[in-house]
Amino acid sequence: MAILYKLIPHLLSWLGILLVLLRGFPVRRTVVTVTGISGFLLGVAGALLLFRAFQGATPFWIIKSSLGVGFLCLWGVSVATVYCSTGRGAMLLWGERFATGSLSAGAVTGITAIVAGAVSACKIPGADGNALAYMALVLSACALTGLAPLLEKLLPASFKVSPSGMLATLVALLLFSSSSILRLDLFSPLSMKVMKGIHDFVHQFMESILIPDHLFVRPVVWKYIGFLFGKEVGFWGGIVIWFTPAILIALAIHFERLPSVAHIRQGAQRRRLLAAAIRERRYRLFIPALALLIFAAAAYQSSFPSVEYWDPKPLPVTATPSGEIIIPKRGEVDLEDGKLHKYIFKQGEREARFFVLMNPAGELTVDLDACAICKPDGYGQAEGTVICYYCKTLIPLETVGKPGGCNPVPVPFAERGEGVVIDSMTLINSWGATVKATVRAKEGAK
Amino acid sequence: MKRLIRTILAAASSRGVPPIVVGLFFLIYIGIAFFTDETLIALMALTGKSVILAVLLALIPLNSALRLLMETGRFLKKRKMFKEKATEAIPEQFDEMVELPASPHFAGLERRFAAVGYKTRRTENALAAWRGFTVFPARILFLAGTFCLFTGILISVTTRASHRQMVIEGEPMPTPEGIGGTVKRIALAKSNGLILARALTIEVAPSYSGEMDRIFGIYPPSLYRGSFVYPRYLGLDLLLQFSAPDLPGGYLKHIILNCYPPGKEDSKTISGSPYRIVFTIPEPEPSSDRYISYMARDKTLQFKLLKGEELLFSGSAPVGGEFARDGYRMAFPEARRLVVTDYIGDYGVFFIWATALFFFVAAVIWLPLRTFFPRKEMLFRYDDSGIMKAFSGSEGGRRAHAGIFHEALDLLGAGKIDTTDA
Repeated sequence: MAILYKLIPHLLSWLGILLVLLRGFPVRRTVVTVTGISGFLLGVAGALLLFRAFQGATPFWIIKSSLGVGFLCLWGVSVATVYCSTGRGAMLLWGERFATGSLSAGAVTGITAIVAGAVSACKIPGADGNALAYMALVLSACALTGLAPLLEKLLPASFKVSPSGMLATLVALLLFSSSSILRLDLFSPLSMKVMKGIHDFVHQFMESILIPDHLFVRPVVWKYIGFLFGKEVGFWGGIVIWFTPAILIALAIHFERLPSVAHIRQGAQRRRLLAAAIRERRYRLFIPALALLIFAAAAYQSSFPSVEYWDPKPLPVTATPSGEIIIPKRGEVDLEDGKLHKYIFKQGEREARFFVLMNPAGELTVDLDACAICKPDGYGQAEGTVICYYCKTLIPLETVGKPGGCNPVPVPFAERGEGVVIDSMTLINSWGATVKATVRAKEGAK
Repeated sequence: MKRLIRTILAAASSRGVPPIVVGLFFLIYIGIAFFTDETLIALMALTGKSVILAVLLALIPLNSALRLLMETGRFLKKRKMFKEKATEAIPEQFDEMVELPASPHFAGLERRFAAVGYKTRRTENALAAWRGFTVFPARILFLAGTFCLFTGILISVTTRASHRQMVIEGEPMPTPEGIGGTVKRIALAKSNGLILARALTIEVAPSYSGEMDRIFGIYPPSLYRGSFVYPRYLGLDLLLQFSAPDLPGGYLKHIILNCYPPGKEDSKTISGSPYRIVFTIPEPEPSSDRYISYMARDKTLQFKLLKGEELLFSGSAPVGGEFARDGYRMAFPEARRLVVTDYIGDYGVFFIWATALFFFVAAVIWLPLRTFFPRKEMLFRYDDSGIMKAFSGSEGGRRAHAGIFHEALDLLGAGKIDTTDA
């Protein structure tokens, strides 16, 4: 019962997908229904096979990539829609014919259903021993597929679906479905990538036009530049990328040229034709608006996930006179228990926060409790991952200890006897060089 | 052959080229992101090395240049058409075009248009009416800006050369091509500029007779022997004298310290010995600028002396002074200011500066014109076959303008226009 409750968002998304597809392909109802349920079952089976064939994050990566590709396709379609609607006489008639054919109805429905099925299957923990849950998912999906044509007939006739609007809603529903699964979520990684992308772009731009470094620039000016490196810009940049395709499609419909009525010599007839065209245009705006709402719900679900993280309080450590920090592997804490163990080292006014973790391969790793990109809000541990609290990026445990991106910055260390030995100066300098520079950039050189 | 050239030109000047090229680069960017976190830098390096990507990127400035020419040509043709100097009309330049049998009596129509704020020009066989201003100049500036932006990026990505050199007071100015004049002075002072808080000046003496003294600032960067002088960081060139009980011969050498600003550590290993010295510049008094004070006043350096992993002692000594303990002696006879400087060989910078100017002026022109004075125009032409061709187009306020146009057509079609001259 509890698993059915967890599956509700996915089943609702599936029902939404079916309704949109049935209205988008009104003369291909059989194709949509049959391909839909077959695709969904194939998706669930495919996900099960992936979980059995690959360990760790690979199955999630494959499904997440397919969602990413879908989102990219939506971007392409939205840009093309805008260009077609603003160009004079540039309507792609062949494209319209293709978009309503049975081949495209089958292809769009099949691909969407496979991804929807695979995403829903990811919500069920463990590929083995959950046969009942999978059965419940499949039966519910079948029932909804049978119900959808009946529900679709109840929808008002004015509920019109353009091909681009349909694609926007389908992608939005798939992303809404995936956003409740931490490892399939696209929005948080997108925000993080945007933050990194903007950081790199601003840096490269400044280098390109030879703008001097912060040393010479007014703090207030640097504060504005530093603002561009912040989480907020990453978040809002992510929001822009997230919503833009649906907005572009809505704008394309809104600014679609009205039919030329200059050849009609009766004013009343002209006005009637124009009014009908405007009304029809407004009805077609409903679907992109609905897609925007679903995208918003997905972004919200991604920004406020209902997951708790293991985040121990950092233990203070000191260095020997020769500057070595020695942490015993077993004692007050067991460094080899696979959990994140946080420490704080203070030297005068300077301090560094770091953690020790044994990764799934059984190797110890020592890392700063910060990455080279974000403000040092630290990391928490969830199942199979650590999360950067600042940008909400999930880092698989397998990659902790490797440098780059939002991974925790690795610190050189040695395993000596029954302890882990870290050079305090290296630790402090590493913190100073990476983390403090990031804070200064983000907080405007304060 | 002509048809082939025309097809190529049409494709190269298509509005679809920039989004397709940008989209392709975006896809490559995403692809690279799977392998490295330095995605943008990797993409720039790849574009610089790959002829295919460079050519692909070059399609955008080519497209902008072609569109600039094409749109200018179309605009001039349209102007000619409105001035009755051209006979051929281009329907694509208008929102609506209609043909109807009507007589060329435009006087009443002209008065109607004038009454609703249109300016008119009437000839025997044609009537042109318009109001507002075209955003064409902004469009041209936008295209010129796009051309400059992508040309600048292309030049930068494919030809940029960067050489990092240490510019030291009293030493000849190093350049990628050899040495220049002697660096007379390096100074850092407060600045009251809008952007810059501190002004750095590097004064360089002439390197050959006839050359003048050169002064290099921060922004805009100056050209020196074909490269932009781009000051990056400040540092110290320290003459270090060190001796220890087991190093009686001592050590005397100039070392470059990257320990600026105060608080930052830099360490140097004494070659052929187990000694390592960690240097820092002490924090200045709270009231003084921590960046400028050290560049302006006498210098004191803090240090820690390590032998292997063992800390022997720490202390401080002024430049010109010395420190001695337990048979160890450390002296700093001389310290000179140093600027870590990049010499950038990149003429794409000029194009990017021009881009900023073009885009700014384009925005300043476009926004008020498009918002408050959008161009609306109509043209009625009567030809010898007894057919009237009417054209209408608008850059904004389309529906109101279309209403006026349709009403005029109705009146012309019904023959209800007053044919007498005012």
